Amino acid sequence: MSAALCALAFSAMAAEPPDAPNDELDALTLADQAPDAPAAAAQRWRAYLEGAGFSRRLGADPDAKAAGRASLDARFDGTLTPGLRLVLSDRLDLMRDNADPAIDSVNTVREAYLSWSVSDSQTLDLGRVNVRHGAAMGYNPTDWFKTGALRGVVSPDPAALRENRQGTVVLQGQQLWPAGGLTLTLSPRLERVRDDDTFAFDAGATNARNRWLLAGSLKIAEGWTPEVLLHGAEGSSPQLGFNLSTLAGDAVVVYGEATFGKGPSLVDQALQTGGRDRMQRRASLGLTYTTPFNLSLTVEAQYASAAPDRSQWNALPSIAAAAPLQLLSVAGDLQDLPARRGAFVYATWKDAFVRRLDLSAFVRQELETDSREQWLELRHRWDRFDLAAQVLVHSGDAGSVYRSIPQRRSLELSLRYYL
Amino acid sequence: MFERLRLHRRRALARLAAFALCGMAAVPAAFAAPDAQALLAASDAVRNPSRPFSVTVNLLEYRNARQTDNNTLSVYSKADPNGGQFNTLIRFVAPQRDANKLLLKNGNDLWFYDPASQASIRLSPQQRLLGQASNGDVVTANLARDYQASWLAEEDVVDGERTTRHCHKLGLAASSPDVTYHRVEMWIEVGSARPVKARFFAQSGHLLKTAFYRKFQPQLGRERPTEVVIIDGLDPAWVTVMRYSDWALREVPDAWLQRDFLPRFKPE
Repeated sequence: MSAALCALAFSAMAAEPPDAPNDELDALTLADQAPDAPAAAAQRWRAYLEGAGFSRRLGADPDAKAAGRASLDARFDGTLTPGLRLVLSDRLDLMRDNADPAIDSVNTVREAYLSWSVSDSQTLDLGRVNVRHGAAMGYNPTDWFKTGALRGVVSPDPAALRENRQGTVVLQGQQLWPAGGLTLTLSPRLERVRDDDTFAFDAGATNARNRWLLAGSLKIAEGWTPEVLLHGAEGSSPQLGFNLSTLAGDAVVVYGEATFGKGPSLVDQALQTGGRDRMQRRASLGLTYTTPFNLSLTVEAQYASAAPDRSQWNALPSIAAAAPLQLLSVAGDLQDLPARRGAFVYATWKDAFVRRLDLSAFVRQELETDSREQWLELRHRWDRFDLAAQVLVHSGDAGSVYRSIPQRRSLELSLRYYL
Repeated sequence: MFERLRLHRRRALARLAAFALCGMAAVPAAFAAPDAQALLAASDAVRNPSRPFSVTVNLLEYRNARQTDNNTLSVYSKADPNGGQFNTLIRFVAPQRDANKLLLKNGNDLWFYDPASQASIRLSPQQRLLGQASNGDVVTANLARDYQASWLAEEDVVDGERTTRHCHKLGLAASSPDVTYHRVEMWIEVGSARPVKARFFAQSGHLLKTAFYRKFQPQLGRERPTEVVIIDGLDPAWVTVMRYSDWALREVPDAWLQRDFLPRFKPE
């Protein structure tokens, strides 16, 4: 009886046409009118042309120097026969720069390798591969193959540095299991000397020594897949590395990365003083928080025992006037920290303020002499064009680490066209 | 205007009468609420094929009635035999600047992979790669695995085709802190278990988005929604249309669904 009454009552309600907010009806009308998208097939290649004008202030020179750049960036990833894949990736930066020292034109063969899938879980790669490891955002101690890999720096954005670098010639095999994988990378010595010619293959930059890397990852629990790495190189002690990242709630990713092993100090490497190898520890520990409006903010603590502390840095000019610059040059080549302790803050905001405007920025603060590198980029995306403006500033007291970099400030405006 | 007021008054009276009648006849055995969790699972089965499959998703985004973005994705999805939740691999197809980037959801792990830098980056559920659509919107998800459902009412709602549908209204509470939405209201058609409409809420209680499931077509063995219209909770003029096409049953090897495989992924 009561059920019948309820049913009667609810059916009386149901007989009334329900309300739908006008906003919802408008949205549905918009969806009705949305055009059918043409079927898009996955492209095997991606290429763009980029033109840029930039100005930079060097050293004590009060005048900024103007320069220009034209770039062609292309990547091909195709299947030749079932199971056999060819990857080619190259970037050419043609520079017009009258400053002293000038930035040279450079072509970077980022990747050129064949990959053979023996099965879904077994793969062999042969050729120049951008071998990359590391969970951190700003400083990757386990990314051993970054050493010597930068032929030119178009942007100091860590994401761009990871992309625009020369791969290492390797033979690499990977075996995967449902809960993890094991990768062995063998990199032979091909050439001892670097070659800075624009179109040089430059094997001396990445393949100057015999090297190997064994990397294994294992899912030990939901959300926990640590990676353990062992790296060896001719004339160096083995290095042990760890990577881990995990979630802390729905908006925070926490990560850590560390390496341990005997090696030279950065001062010994830069000044070739032949000091004794010591146990060196390098680490990054950080978190990325994403706000409800999609701004991602990363805060990272960085440490490298091989890098100079404050007193070691301050003693450099007494060894040689050019010693600070030499150390910065070697640190840049190794992509290692120039000072022992650092902090890194990185922000990315897609669709910041207005639609299709992306904001990226970072501050690298070294904590030994209290100097910093600051970078900001605004990028507006159209369907085939990007217009970007980026500014880089090095600041700190005279004689501090980042203030010693010759380039004080630079401003670049670039236009990219996707072919 | 007066007609609308009269309509509201009539409806309010009808509701009052209904509750009064129910109150008078309040006998426990008389009204047993349906099994909300089973309804939610049945609705999941309408949206998601039970066997491994691939589908193409086209996302059209509108601001103030003007199209502002257009993304195409290839989605490969497979239910995890242990947990029942879907593991999904997404390849960005268009626009060209994003071509061949990958998004992997394995359990609660979300990984983004850019072939240009060979970097696999862990994402949190909050991080959105596709404008308004969250990563959780584009991957296949069994809501019954991540939410505790409770039956709220039976009521009529206007569906995405502007037809009135008689629906179960369910309240979904997140059963894990890692999911994209804290709370969901969902309308599921009585009888067919079709998802009709959903409203997604943040922990603060504010409405994040409203979704309409529409254009039901026979795909992979049953009628499934081939379009989802998403309306932003704060800015109703921000609308995303998600269209599903090229459904196909296909093998999705377990090896594809882990981080270490991302640099290897080559579906052709």
